[in-house]
Order: sequence, then structure tokens, then C-alpha cells
Amino acid sequence: MTDGLGWIDRRRLLQLLGVTGGALAANLPDRVFAQTRKNTLVLGIDISDTITLDPARLAQYTSPMTVAAAYDALVTMKPGEYINVAPGLATKWGRTPDGKGWRFTLREGVKFSTGNVMTVEDVKWSFDRVINLGDQPSQYIANVDRVEIVDKSTIDIILKEPKEPLLSIIAAPEFIVMERKVAEANGASAAKDAKTADKAAQWINSNSCGTGAYRIAAWERNQQIQLVRNEHYWGGKPPYERIVIRHISDGAAQLLAIRRGDIDAAFNLIPEQIAALKSETSVRMAPLPSLDFVYMALTQEPEFNKALAVKEARQAIGYAIDYDGIVKNMLGGAALRPAHFLPIGVSGSTEEVARQIGFKQDLVKAKELLAKAGFKDGFEFEISYGNAAVQGVTYQDLGLKIQSDVARVGIKVNLRPVDQVNLRTEYTTGKSKGGVLTFWNPPAVDNWLWAGAVINRVAKRVHWTPPDDVRKLVAEAATETDAKKQADLWVEWQKQMVDQANHFVLFQPVYQIAVRNTVKDFPLTAAGWMLDLYGVKPSA
Amino acid sequence: MPQYILSRLFLAFVMALLATLVIFLLANTVPGDPVLAQLGDMAASNKEFVAEWRAKWGLDLPLWQRYLIFLERLFHGDLGVSISSQRPVLQDIRDFAPATLELASVSFVLALVVGIPLGIMAAVRRDSWIDHVARLVSLIGVSSPTFWLAFIMLAVFYGGLQIAPGPGRIDSIALPPPSATGLYLIDSVLAGDWELFHDAAAHLVLPSIVLAAATLGLITRTTRASMLECMQQDYVRVARAKGLRYRRIVIGHILPNALIPIVTLGGLAYANLLTGAVLTETIFSWPGLGRYTFRSAVTLDFPAIMGITLIVAVVYLIINLLIDVSYALLDPRVVR
Repeated sequence: MTDGLGWIDRRRLLQLLGVTGGALAANLPDRVFAQTRKNTLVLGIDISDTITLDPARLAQYTSPMTVAAAYDALVTMKPGEYINVAPGLATKWGRTPDGKGWRFTLREGVKFSTGNVMTVEDVKWSFDRVINLGDQPSQYIANVDRVEIVDKSTIDIILKEPKEPLLSIIAAPEFIVMERKVAEANGASAAKDAKTADKAAQWINSNSCGTGAYRIAAWERNQQIQLVRNEHYWGGKPPYERIVIRHISDGAAQLLAIRRGDIDAAFNLIPEQIAALKSETSVRMAPLPSLDFVYMALTQEPEFNKALAVKEARQAIGYAIDYDGIVKNMLGGAALRPAHFLPIGVSGSTEEVARQIGFKQDLVKAKELLAKAGFKDGFEFEISYGNAAVQGVTYQDLGLKIQSDVARVGIKVNLRPVDQVNLRTEYTTGKSKGGVLTFWNPPAVDNWLWAGAVINRVAKRVHWTPPDDVRKLVAEAATETDAKKQADLWVEWQKQMVDQANHFVLFQPVYQIAVRNTVKDFPLTAAGWMLDLYGVKPSA
Repeated sequence: MPQYILSRLFLAFVMALLATLVIFLLANTVPGDPVLAQLGDMAASNKEFVAEWRAKWGLDLPLWQRYLIFLERLFHGDLGVSISSQRPVLQDIRDFAPATLELASVSFVLALVVGIPLGIMAAVRRDSWIDHVARLVSLIGVSSPTFWLAFIMLAVFYGGLQIAPGPGRIDSIALPPPSATGLYLIDSVLAGDWELFHDAAAHLVLPSIVLAAATLGLITRTTRASMLECMQQDYVRVARAKGLRYRRIVIGHILPNALIPIVTLGGLAYANLLTGAVLTETIFSWPGLGRYTFRSAVTLDFPAIMGITLIVAVVYLIINLLIDVSYALLDPRVVR
């Protein structure tokens, strides 16, 4: 029996098992790619939410970065400045003589990636397409009545409500300019029946016809988006030949990849992974401020919870939460906290304002408020949340933190994990019976979009009917033209909302992006598209 | 035999339809609203927009009518359009299936090539060092959680030793081969691009080991057990009494009989690999069906869910059919 199996002896077996090892150790084609790697920027990011690259159909979180690289809008926002817009394809703008809209003067000599010159017709056509397609972006400019050509370098956008804001909204990548001729040749339509006539989605998803610094060359779903340099870019020659937006869904894998130099930037690292990079000299952390925030909404429907129906009881919760602990201990300080539904950085919302008028932990005051509300010994309510995390902090952990915070004033929280879609269904239909932990990110940068949401949609969800003077205040603030007065009005509005105590903003993330030192400039922005790809430059 | 296959085919067809019905009913009992899974906050709050959207995707129709539409489309070879990708489901599947097929097939071959010899050796040399090794390998394979194994493999071979490539199917700056089959190993060869073939093969190593691990463990154990059982049979004793060389007995007498349960197991394991690679695909950023299925499920993308269900059902049914047929070939007693 021990004479054994001649056909597969010990050595053969080991060889067999060694096949896999051999394949691993074999030289990888790294060296071959080395040359190309220098001219290529590779971003490691989870882009599984990207489902379309069609500006007029855009609604996701990561896709705007690509769209903003391939196309330009009339006006734009520079990193750090989220109140006033900057010139884009338009160099000048002002109200139309009749005051009903805005007039834009187009930049001269701008060419599309095809080399053709951009015309005023392209601009009008692009706006018409967004409006007539009627997809989600059309709603942000629901106030636009029509777009009119004045002369070959001037165009008017006429509004239904002339006073309502427009400029900051059309800085979003949904409202960019496409080359009409190319788009139409590939099935696009801006006609009244665009909803059914437009067949360009497929083409636009793997190509582009814009004026941006880079051109979309391919999109392999859940794999990568390939951009190539636009040789005709009006802002000078873009530094990279190619940009690869590489889908790496796992933060841990991104960490390994940036260490090895396979990617130049990692977007989805959680605090522990960021800490692991501290000792790495070839990688730096770049802060990506955001206008997103995580908040808790509290219903005030007495049928659901008698205590929550009392304003003072809700305020007591607001004064019991340890906000600083959330920002400092759970997020390592990489977050801000606005007073209410206006993120820090926009009109009327600064860290100073937040400190003055926002909630802060004050257990004595919380107990007083409880007594005043008639719940001296506390009460009970539930907090629902989905199975997700923001900046590496799970809603579950946030729930636990709030639970232990409010317990100190005698309020008992029952945590209730719910599937994400069900949570949203409950919340938006006003069926949430207590608190809901959730996330807010704006489609475009404008106070009106936040404040309007609070008094309309979000108010309904918590069963609050905003009184007329609150509505009036929002309208006034949104249409005020004097910047100082406008900021004051927004502060006043936030004060009232804090007092109303239906929403508690827990933190506004400052995402941490790991960037290799092979990259010099890496202009991250909170404006909605994360990164100004045209401005990314390699180190010499 | 042909009649046997035909009747099995018919049954398979009915089963596939039944599977879609079950999933359809299950998917529709979820209290979440697909509108809210797909639309932004502003759009989801606009009644007209939502109504139009529901109508567009047929979500405003009664349940039975929606199922009938699904069936009708199906008989025209159309699986409908995915709500979240806004592309035909069939096209989505065509795009994502090759990545999974490639990974699952390589894993499967790996599991067989290592698992069967290891199981045989372990049985033949029971309680020797090789038996212990086999037991250890299968224990590790079966018991280590995929996500953990996946991450350890990446951390050690990609991050630490730096001898394996990172996540994804090819290097981050390589361009995929012109698509003929969608299988990069084959496409790169067809394009004559050996560099890329090498790159794609290297990228397959870690994920396929991770995916193969559990299957490998199962196959090793089953092979060993099955071999041991067959070794006790009378015909083995007879063969030995006749003075045949032991090697011949193992290959000619024991192995063919011991293989039968492995065929069943192997077939089902392959189907499992094809449909159950979500975690491996996630950690290795592998653009396959697993991720697509997961996303479709969490976003209540009904057409995609139905399409995937059907495909999965068909895969299982075909593999089951193949198992049954191979039974008949391996063991003539099955078909009389």
C-alpha cells in the first residue's frame, strides 16, 4: 500500500498546488504600463451609483464629476465659494432689461471637443433638451419659462417668477452645453416630444460632445470611466492624456491600491483606513468639504407619539445630544455642523452662526424643557435608520450615541433598523413614528432648494404645517438681492427652525480624500461634482 | 434517452416559469416603494412626476397584469428594461455575465483540479500527512468567511508581498480587449494581445482562489469520503486478490464509482459559483452579475430582479439536467 500512487507523487502534487503560486509570482505587466501611467490620472472611487452620464438625466452622487469634466455650464462655482458664481461659458451676466430673466454674454472662441465653435444655438438647444426631456433635472429649473437667443453671442433665460434664484442652480452639471449637431446625429432631441423622441441616452453614456477639458471615451459599467484629453479645450491644454475613474467599491482595497500607486486618489476611505495612511509619506489627505449633512427628523404627530407632539419635548432632545462628541470622537473632527438645514458655506450659514443659534448639549436646560413639556420623568420614542454609513460612521452607531445621550435626561430611545428603501418609503409618506436618521445632499447649490424642501416636503413628513410668516420669510430671503440682508434673513429663518425642533443636523461631512504626491493640484469642491478635474495637475 | 431528456426539458421550462412567479410575488410584498428607491427627493415628492414615472414602468397596473406583461415579453425574448440602469435587462446581463462566468469557471476548474487529487490522495493515504493537509485545506476553505479571506488575500499578496495585481479585471490603466465574448482571457487571445492576456489572468488569480475556497473544501471532503466508501467494496477486494497493481485499482475501479456523488456536488457547486459571488465581486471590484443582482434587489428594480431570477433558474435547471444525463452515462442503472 505504501508503494503508493506512481502517477501523482509528492513532488507532482506540490507542483500542482504550486501552479497558482507560480501565476502570482510571474512578472506582471507593470513595467509595460509604466510609461502610460505617467500621463494618466487614475481615481479610485465607488461609482456603483453611476447609472447615467446624460446631463439631462443626472440624479446620482458620483456621476456629476465625470459630466463636469466633459462639459461646461454658463456659470460655475469655484472651490470654497458657494454663494457667488464664477464665469464659465458665459463671461458676463445681468438681469434682462425688463427684469424678467437673466442675460448672458457667451465666451468667444470656445470650441467643442470636435473642434467646432460653440454657438448660441447650442446653448439654447441644451436648455431646451433638459426642459423637454422632463427628467429629474428639469425640476430644478421648473422656474425657467423659456430660453431666448438675443444675438449670436447673447442669450436670455426668462423666468416665470423673476425674483427666484437661478444662477447658482444652473452652475450644476445638469445644465451644461452640448454640441447640438453631434448630439442630434446620435439620436438626441430637444423638441417638445423629446421624452419619447430622444434616443441618445446610450450614446451619451459612453461618449460626450462638450467643451470640457476632457472627453468621455468609454464607460464600462461597474468598472471604469475613461476620459481623454480635449485638444480643443478653451482653458489651455489639459495636463493628462487620460483619466481613468476606476470603480473600486471597497475602501480597504482602495487603501491597498493607493499605497501601491495603482491609483492616484482614493475617495472612499473610512477613518481607520485614513489613520493607517498617516505614516505614508507619498500620500497626503485632502479635505473634500461637502454641503451634505446627516440629520435626524422628528415627527410631531400626536397619534404617533404624544411627547414628540410637544415642542419643548423635542427641544429637550435637541439639547441632550452631544454634537461635539459625534464630530470629534466618531468622525475624528472631520466634519462641520450647521445650525439647521443650511450647510456651512452658503448664505447665512457659518460656523459662527451655528455656534450662536444652533443646539448644543445642555442637560440642565434639557431637563427644564422636559418639565415644561409635562414629561418630567422623560418619555420614550423610536429612532429608525437604514443599513448604511456616511464617512465610515454607520447610522446604527449614531443611533446608539443618541440613545445614550438622551438617556441622561431620562428619555428612552428604541432603535429600529430598517431596510433603506422601506425607511425612505415610511419617511417620505409621513409614516415614521419617531425619529429618522438620514442624509441630505442637494441637487444644486442654492438656499432656496434647502429651505423650500424644509417648509414643503420635509415639513409634511414630520406632520408640521409651516405658518404663513415662515413661508413669507423663506420667500423674502430667497429673493433678497442685497447679500448682507439676505444672509441675515437666512439666519433668522434658521433660528425659527431650531426653535421648531423637527430637525437636528448632526454633522456635515468633510470627506477625506487620499491623494498621492504624484498629483500636485487636486481642486476638490463641495459644489456637487466633488472634483474639478480640469484643474488636477501632476507634480513636475 | 432522447425522450428522457425531452421530458426533463419540459419540466425545466415549467420550473423556470414557476420560479419567476414566486419571485414576482415575493418582490412585490416588500413594503418599500421602487419610486423612492430610484428617484431623488424632489422628483419623488412631485405627484405628477411620480405618476408619470409609475406609468412609464407599468407600476400603476394591477399585479396580475404586470406578471402577464412580463410573460408576454418573455415569449418574445424580451426581459424588459431595467429601471435603474434604464437599459434592456438582457443587455445588462450580457454585459455583466461574462465577468462572472470567467471568474466562476476558473474557480471551478481550480477547485476540481486541486480538490479531486487531494481528496483521492487523502483517502488512499488515510491518516498520513497528506490526509491532514487535505483536511486542513478543506476546513479552511469551508469555514473561512469569503469577505475575510478575500481581504486577507488582497492584503497579503497585493498590499504586502506585492506579487499579485489589485482589484478589477485588468490593470487600472489597461484598456479592455475588443469585445467578442466578454471573457477577457479569450478576447485578449483573439486580439493577439498577450500582454493583456497575462494581465487578465493575473487579475483572476486572487478572486478565483477566494471564490474556489469553499467549493474546494467541499470537493476534497466529498472525494475523500466517497473514495473511502468505495475502497471497502467487494470488487476492490476481488481486484486486489487478482493481484492487480494498486494504482490500477484506484484509477480503474475505485475512482469511477467514487466520482458519482462528486458529479452532483460539482454541478451544483458550479451553479453556486455562478450565482453566489456577490462578496468576492464586491471586494475585488469585479464587474459581474453578483453586484448587479445585489443592486437590483436593494433598489427594487423589478424587471432586473425578474430577469436575473429567470437566468439563475435556467442555469440551475440546465446544470441539474446535465447532472442527470451524466448520471445516466456514468451509471447505466439509472436509465433502464
